[in-house]
Amino acid sequence: MRRVSRSRAHWLIPYAAAGVLSLALGQRSGAADDARAWLEKMNQALATRNYDGTFFHLSEGRVETMRIVHRVKAGRVTERLQSLDGSGREFVRNNDELTCFLPDQHTVLVEPRQDHGPFLGSLPRFGADVDEFYVIEALPASRVLGRAARVIAVNPKDQYRFGYRLWLDENTAMPLKTQLCDAHGQVIEQILFARLEMPETIADADLAPAVRTEGMRWVRQGPTSEPAAAALSAYRASELPPGFHLTVSGAQTLGGASVPAEHLVYSDGLATVSVFVEPDAAAQANTSATPSAPSEPMMEGLARVGSGFAFSTVVQGHQVTAVGEVPAQTVEFIAHSVKSFPSPPR
Amino acid sequence: MSEQIREQVSAFLDGELPSSETELLLKRLTRDPELRQSFGRYALIGETLRGGSGASLSLTFAARVNRTIDGEPAEPVLPAATARPLRWWRPIAGTAVAAGVTAVAVVSWNQHAAAPGVTAAPRVIAQNVRLATVAQEPLSYTVPTPAAAPAMLAPARLTNYVFAHSKYSVGLGQGNLLSTLLSADADTVQSAAAGAGGNASRASVAPAVSRATQTTP
Repeated sequence: MRRVSRSRAHWLIPYAAAGVLSLALGQRSGAADDARAWLEKMNQALATRNYDGTFFHLSEGRVETMRIVHRVKAGRVTERLQSLDGSGREFVRNNDELTCFLPDQHTVLVEPRQDHGPFLGSLPRFGADVDEFYVIEALPASRVLGRAARVIAVNPKDQYRFGYRLWLDENTAMPLKTQLCDAHGQVIEQILFARLEMPETIADADLAPAVRTEGMRWVRQGPTSEPAAAALSAYRASELPPGFHLTVSGAQTLGGASVPAEHLVYSDGLATVSVFVEPDAAAQANTSATPSAPSEPMMEGLARVGSGFAFSTVVQGHQVTAVGEVPAQTVEFIAHSVKSFPSPPR
Repeated sequence: MSEQIREQVSAFLDGELPSSETELLLKRLTRDPELRQSFGRYALIGETLRGGSGASLSLTFAARVNRTIDGEPAEPVLPAATARPLRWWRPIAGTAVAAGVTAVAVVSWNQHAAAPGVTAAPRVIAQNVRLATVAQEPLSYTVPTPAAAPAMLAPARLTNYVFAHSKYSVGLGQGNLLSTLLSADADTVQSAAAGAGGNASRASVAPAVSRATQTTP
């Protein structure tokens, strides 16, 4: 899956040069190792500590205020993310079930969630593969929330991925402030804590949704028992930006769809891109006995999704959409390279 | 914004506001959407002035903000107001077209005219960042070809993709995505919920992974 065609090979030149340079530079510096250790401490804190905080989520000149409560008690993780800006929306995760309370829509969505990462997110362990595409460095110490903070930068080496800057509490390693940045260091999105407590115990009441659920519509999603989408199983990206590889493939029925889509996940170890391949709904309706869904038109183009991008195109009558917290060119590159293969390559 | 609040915001962004005052500021911010927008702009100016790193400060943030707001507009010119809420996902051409489609907010994905490739991409990043500062200027990635009929897309469809993707998004990106989903425009989530409910008779509703297999890279 790391095949790169000749026509695209020139993209690799700067990357190869960077690789040679990093080899030439040899050993990682002690400062970088220290930065790495701090990222590990942060991951540990996010996953294992109790915390209750309020933060601002700044994106595109827009500010949202949120409360996060995270509790680990007898091996069970309960987490609550609450919008404080009027919509009353909340997400509550109880071990492996995610419940989305949408009072403004009179709806509660419940779905199983296999991932156990904290809502605030952590950074994956930085292995050698991640090192190839990102530089980790410690920046001069700073202050956030009146507390001393370590500042760590994770800078992308090319334009196919975003980077991070993190301000970690000197005492607890909790991220008091995080920024998502592009390859030029421009801030795309920022999370900034206004209050962060780390109590020994957290009461059940602090994890209970404030939403009154009487009269709300509950939409529960269990594991579905649909047959594998055999016809779809052969779509893969034929070319990928440097460092990205297939990590997950599966079938998935998206809301409003009558047939499952193929869901492929590509990652460089830090950034993740999902690719959805869906058959043309109209064509599907003609060949199946099920009543036809109102067919949605095929889409083509680029859209912003939060701090990332989605790019949609049509490949052999199939809708292909790549979505991820990556630059526009990355989703575009991946979506354009999707092809059907006689059998799923491994 | 009063001088007092301005100073509070500045001190907060500099990490130097006492926690008791931070509580008060927080309460104000959650109550007052306009103040939140001002706060967002301040935070952005702050980053611009800090040169992104936020690590080396020679002047106090307040002084620099005052200079920027009150002085000559050497820094990015700010829109007078950002009352119009920005969508958490947007068409790149910046034109939300609702022609002929009812109820659900519809976005046009303009035909992407440029040849696939990377040449235009660095520019798009710069433009998007600029958008964050000059929020009201329509964003244009490639000039849409007038002849090309843009495909229409209900926001629900994109929301579904993003929701499904968030499960696999690793690291801080996932936190950002969830926050984004939590604060998504009401109409976006409404259509997503409606899409889910409308299909209640079918086996599957709402975005969810039915089967996923780990493959070794």
